[in-house]
Amino acid sequence: MTDPRSQVERVAGDERVQLIGVRHHSPVLAAAVPALLDAFAPRTLLVELPAEMQPWVGWLADPDTVAPVALAAAGTDGPVAFYPFADFSPELAALRWARRHGVPVVCCDLPLSDPAWLSRSHGPSDGPSLSAAVQRTLTGRAGDDLWDRWIEAGSPGSSPEAVRRAALAAGWALRHDAERHGVDPLDLRREACMRGHVRGTAGRVAAVVGAFHAPALLDGPVAEGTGDGPVPVISLVPYTFDLLDARSGYPAGIRDPRWQQAVLDRGADPGRIRLATHTFAVEVTRELRAQGRPAGPGEAAEVVRLAADLASLRALPAPGRGELVEALQTVLAQGAPTGIGRGVARAMEAVLIGRRRGRLPAGAPRTGLLPAVEAELSRLKLPGPGQAAQRIRLDPLRSPTDRARDLAIRRLSACGAAYGNAGTTGPALGGEALTTAWRVEWTPATDAALAVAGLHGVTLAQATEGLLALRRRRELADGGPTAEQALIGLEQAAASGLPGLAALRLADVRQAVCHGGAVAHIVAGLHLLSRLARGHVTGLPEPLDEIAGVRDDLHAAAVGAVAGLTGSTRVEDARALHDLVQAADEAGRLMRLDHAVRALTRDGTPLISGAAAAVGVLLGHSEPSDFGRRLASWADLPAAEATDRLRGALSVAGALLQAGGEVLDPLLDVVDHLSDDDFVRRLPALRGGFDAMSPADRDRLLRTVGERHGAVAERLAADPVTVAGWLAADRAGLAAVLALGLDPSPASPVPTVSSAPRGGCPGAISPAQRWRLLLGRETDRLPAEQRRLATALDEIYGAGRGEGSYTVDGGGAGREPAYPQARDWLDDLDALFGTEVRDEVLARAAERGRLDAVLAADPQRVRPSVDLLHAVLSLAGGLPESRLAKLRPLVARLTAELTAQLARRIRPALTGLGTPRPTNRPTGRLDLAATVRRNLHTVRLGPDGEAQILPERPVFRSPGRRSVDWQVVLLVDVSGSMEPSTVWAALTASVLAGVPALRTHFVTFSTEVIDLTDRVTDPLSLLLEIRVGGGTHITAGLRYARQITVVPRRTMVIVISDFEEGFAIGDLLAAVRALADDGTTLLGCASLDDKGRPRYSAGVAAQLVAAGMPVAALSPTELARWIGDQVR
Amino acid sequence: MTAARQIDPPEHRYAEELEFLAAADTGPRPPGWLLTPRAVVTFVAGSGGTPVEGRVIAPKFVGDRALIERCVVTLAGERGLLLVGEPGTAKSMLSELFAAAICGTSALAVQGTAGTSEDQLRYGWNYALLLAKGPAPEALVPSPILTAMTTGAVARVEEITRCLPEVQDALVSIMSERRISVPELAGTDGAVSHAVPGFCLIATANLRDRGVSEMSAALKRRFNFEVVPPIADLDAEVALVGRQAKAAVERGGAAFAVDDAVLETLVTAFRDLRTGLSAEGWEVERPSSVMSTAEAVAVAASIGLSAAYLPGPDPLSLLPGHLLGVVRKDDPGDAARLLAYWDGALRRRAEGGARMWRQLWEHRDVLRD
Repeated sequence: MTDPRSQVERVAGDERVQLIGVRHHSPVLAAAVPALLDAFAPRTLLVELPAEMQPWVGWLADPDTVAPVALAAAGTDGPVAFYPFADFSPELAALRWARRHGVPVVCCDLPLSDPAWLSRSHGPSDGPSLSAAVQRTLTGRAGDDLWDRWIEAGSPGSSPEAVRRAALAAGWALRHDAERHGVDPLDLRREACMRGHVRGTAGRVAAVVGAFHAPALLDGPVAEGTGDGPVPVISLVPYTFDLLDARSGYPAGIRDPRWQQAVLDRGADPGRIRLATHTFAVEVTRELRAQGRPAGPGEAAEVVRLAADLASLRALPAPGRGELVEALQTVLAQGAPTGIGRGVARAMEAVLIGRRRGRLPAGAPRTGLLPAVEAELSRLKLPGPGQAAQRIRLDPLRSPTDRARDLAIRRLSACGAAYGNAGTTGPALGGEALTTAWRVEWTPATDAALAVAGLHGVTLAQATEGLLALRRRRELADGGPTAEQALIGLEQAAASGLPGLAALRLADVRQAVCHGGAVAHIVAGLHLLSRLARGHVTGLPEPLDEIAGVRDDLHAAAVGAVAGLTGSTRVEDARALHDLVQAADEAGRLMRLDHAVRALTRDGTPLISGAAAAVGVLLGHSEPSDFGRRLASWADLPAAEATDRLRGALSVAGALLQAGGEVLDPLLDVVDHLSDDDFVRRLPALRGGFDAMSPADRDRLLRTVGERHGAVAERLAADPVTVAGWLAADRAGLAAVLALGLDPSPASPVPTVSSAPRGGCPGAISPAQRWRLLLGRETDRLPAEQRRLATALDEIYGAGRGEGSYTVDGGGAGREPAYPQARDWLDDLDALFGTEVRDEVLARAAERGRLDAVLAADPQRVRPSVDLLHAVLSLAGGLPESRLAKLRPLVARLTAELTAQLARRIRPALTGLGTPRPTNRPTGRLDLAATVRRNLHTVRLGPDGEAQILPERPVFRSPGRRSVDWQVVLLVDVSGSMEPSTVWAALTASVLAGVPALRTHFVTFSTEVIDLTDRVTDPLSLLLEIRVGGGTHITAGLRYARQITVVPRRTMVIVISDFEEGFAIGDLLAAVRALADDGTTLLGCASLDDKGRPRYSAGVAAQLVAAGMPVAALSPTELARWIGDQVR
Repeated sequence: MTAARQIDPPEHRYAEELEFLAAADTGPRPPGWLLTPRAVVTFVAGSGGTPVEGRVIAPKFVGDRALIERCVVTLAGERGLLLVGEPGTAKSMLSELFAAAICGTSALAVQGTAGTSEDQLRYGWNYALLLAKGPAPEALVPSPILTAMTTGAVARVEEITRCLPEVQDALVSIMSERRISVPELAGTDGAVSHAVPGFCLIATANLRDRGVSEMSAALKRRFNFEVVPPIADLDAEVALVGRQAKAAVERGGAAFAVDDAVLETLVTAFRDLRTGLSAEGWEVERPSSVMSTAEAVAVAASIGLSAAYLPGPDPLSLLPGHLLGVVRKDDPGDAARLLAYWDGALRRRAEGGARMWRQLWEHRDVLRD
């Protein structure tokens, strides 16, 4: 076993060669370097830089150069080496010393043109793993590496020589570890080259090299670099502290550069470093105060104390970066990673990273991005500056040159340089275009954009990556990226051929889309990922490894999102359900899917429930015959319910019915066996359901039905009067038989007169006619009386939408002229179907925009329901005041009735607020009078003759004053459309406004926030003031709610929304957290209606719950009860 | 000899070790402390296998040493320490260990509930005596915190966030002025009780059920916060679960016969669901229920008990049912999330051929409702 001490002594003690083993950024060592070199007084200084950088050493050490700056070497395939320098880089300190003392400098590393560099694995090679044995003897935090603990934290205050030896020892330990697994051949070759320089240089030599290489430089074979590889272009560019920070994602960085700079500026002296912690602690607290969070000198003092005591507990000379960070988090962050913790992190970033920017001396050669781009464009034969515009068509999937061109154009546009305009590539029906067409031209804007992008890199790839990474960091700082930003970012990174960034973006997609994406985002994400996986995004011909995993997560998210559709009433959602379910089914996530689909069938709105039942059959989760029976049973449900269920099922599985068989049969039986009256009563509802199918689909279904009934004879066997007489006689006979208690069925079948072969039709409307009515097709072949029915219904449903709706007569949809007067139509409906059905049809008509019908309705005759009110209000949104005035009486009556009903229901939950009550629970407030009263029976005379009371059962006062004057803020999402929840919210608000203990605010938000509190007592004007539309910005609403909050502890903020936030989720969570931190009581209502079936983004809701806002679907009564519970 | 206890307090259980540490480290101590800060760290986090004065101290708390160091430094500065974290992360145990090591007793504790009143944090009265004799020092019932103040000991407030905010605020004046005044006794000696050096306060709070959001900013500012994370290391957690479940089963006199592979499967499932990330790095949808180590111990113990008393089926077949029982506490959606776990990580492991996971996959029917 080699003795570490003697090894370090051997490396450190050489007479001729002074080895200084460094890490690229090390303030403690950088502070020691000048003294070390002064003491040794070398004749030559060797630095670990490739030979090509020799000409730049002078510029680097120039007194006018302001660090940070970076030396970059770029080959044709992107950057091959990148060396950022700051004042606290030991190499830069050594170079400056050499310039001051006129000592020659030699770049001794292997030339970059040596072929050995090409063998390097991608990415900057990480230091080998650390020696666990050494680590255990040092206390400290788990994340630190050996160098941080030993040199940066452990060595301030030591002599320069001791620091040098500690660094060499650390390097030796790393080396020792690495040798067990074998050192990278490239490193061995570089060391051989450096050894050659060390040996070949005459006189005393100081070598500033990586600590890892130092132990190998004294003896071993020697090699010389060969220069037959491609010669890289070297650039010296200014750099910034925030790019230097390791978290920025740029290579060779260090954490918290401003702290490192402070350590160097204080000469790595423990006493002065301790003083630096004072400055930093105070600055962070100031920054926090600027954010509006309480933090003052008291906290700063505690931070300083804690950091210093931690350092002494760990036997360190001065608190290091780690101790400072730990102390800041412990004292200030309050264990909350999102709320104040985020503020602390932001403040620490501002204070510890700093904003310093480097500068090059005047006269330094022009280098960097612009020449590199010009060279690349001329290599690709694309127009450069001063050349004419070109139109080109590229086929990047076939031709490698086209691929390179496509990549360059896309990267330039990602840099914001207006260079290429995408043209059209011709039709791509149902697929994606695989070739691209461009109009490319170098414009002045290109120059300007590249000048900005030059800060981020010296090649196009590097600059693009830098800019896109910056965009991503900005999104992160804003609390994002949102699902949309993540998807765009992934597409951009992939198109620009940046696998590293694309992998980060893929992680963003995983984060943002899987957890906070709406259904549309999940579908878009799946589509993008499948393009990436097939290699169709030209920048990334090799798909990323993680794609399969993220896709799987998206599938899981799709399954999770299924539950969020429970409350939807949109046909598009039913179709989306089908898509989602199919995607998840392919991925094999069956157990939860099965559970979710069954839950939807059970709990969903009629529409979704119907769709889920049909999806179950399509997936093979349930039997077609079961579905058929279920379908048939819907015909008996209440009207609206039946319509929606049918609509849901048919919009997903219309084709299932067309195939006939066991799915259709039960429904046919039910329709056939309805009596005429029943049939007519059910007709409008069922007709509405079948309206979900396109006319052509309905024709096909009609044909299927016709096959079952056989050719329907249009002519009766005798004249109608005779047949009717037969029928009446038959019926009378049957009734007589039944009255005698005889069962006629086994002996003789029920006599029929219908000409249908299997007809069980108990009425005058034959099965075929019934289906024509139900489907709204071939109405011209109906008898006159039935045609009236059909026409009355056609008035609202029309001919239908989709395939076949424009055929002139294929379906034979001969149309009676429409009713000239809506009033006639309503009268007809009343006469044909009855009042109840008429009201339903009226609501449907309002949904479909038939204002005239609504206006024609007599306000006194309609039955008030929220559905009707909702439908009417949806119309009112787009009306001029003159027409609105006519609608007002109807709305007024509906509102008044509904508000009265609601008030009756929810008042009981709110009565009795504000009464303090006596209690037996010891609350600390003794109710003396009550106690004496209750314990009077225990009064005894004491030995001294005084009366004594023995209070067995003390009585206390409940903490009762909390219930006075609560503020209730109802935040209502009006972004999408007027939802029933919005109507309910307005009605509820107006009832709450009548409760004296509450102050009710009614605030609507979309992208803008409108406070309608002044109208809250009048539900009518409140409802008419609501304007729907715009994007969803819940955060804005919450911020407003926070502004109007007077006493947070007595405030309830109730958000009624589908939680499909269109802005950064991070901000939303922060806003929720801020309100929760204030002590405000929060509640999210995914829906507020009688049914408790929400439609919402399940992912976002789950995160809101974690941030402190419980989310539930409530009815107004439940909401009132909840408010009552909070207040009491 | 005291009667057998279900749980022995640490000052009693480790009495001998504490005495040894007090004697071994003679360095300077903060006023009122029985041990030096370094010895407290060693007592709680163990001596890392190397002997201290010839004796290896076993770790009592499995976790980050730096966390313990920060806590001890906080307490040495007589500042309040608030331990926050998910339920079941041994916060209470940690606070007991600190109290036992610093002042020799962990008994001065207040358990926070919604019914906790100011009396329990400051002082109460023997009401019978109060009504009979009027305010007198002998009618005063000191709270554990008042006792700790007057004796210079460590007071503990468990689950501080479950107290009503008004009640919590009673601590603000105690922590800033370091005295409790009793206005009813004005004019007598007992009117003001001052804190003796060494008095400090450890509070614990649960991030799940209420969070620290309802604490007033004034009170928060008087505490240093430490987040106690769940155990990071799988092997350490498996060992802990095995040890505690074994102890629980054996206390009842039965033999613990659940093999390590089952325990590891159980703990892995708990960790996956707790962190939202499987051991392989696959995303797992987190249930909102608490999936703490303590819950894992309870499940392991139940499996152990049924294996001991109702031997029969493969112990692994009991796991899905128990997991369902753990997640089904508040949100009905959690059962669906457990199904998603079966669909995702678990199925992939089963397809990968891992034996335990394949068996679990075969037991999936237990989860269907």
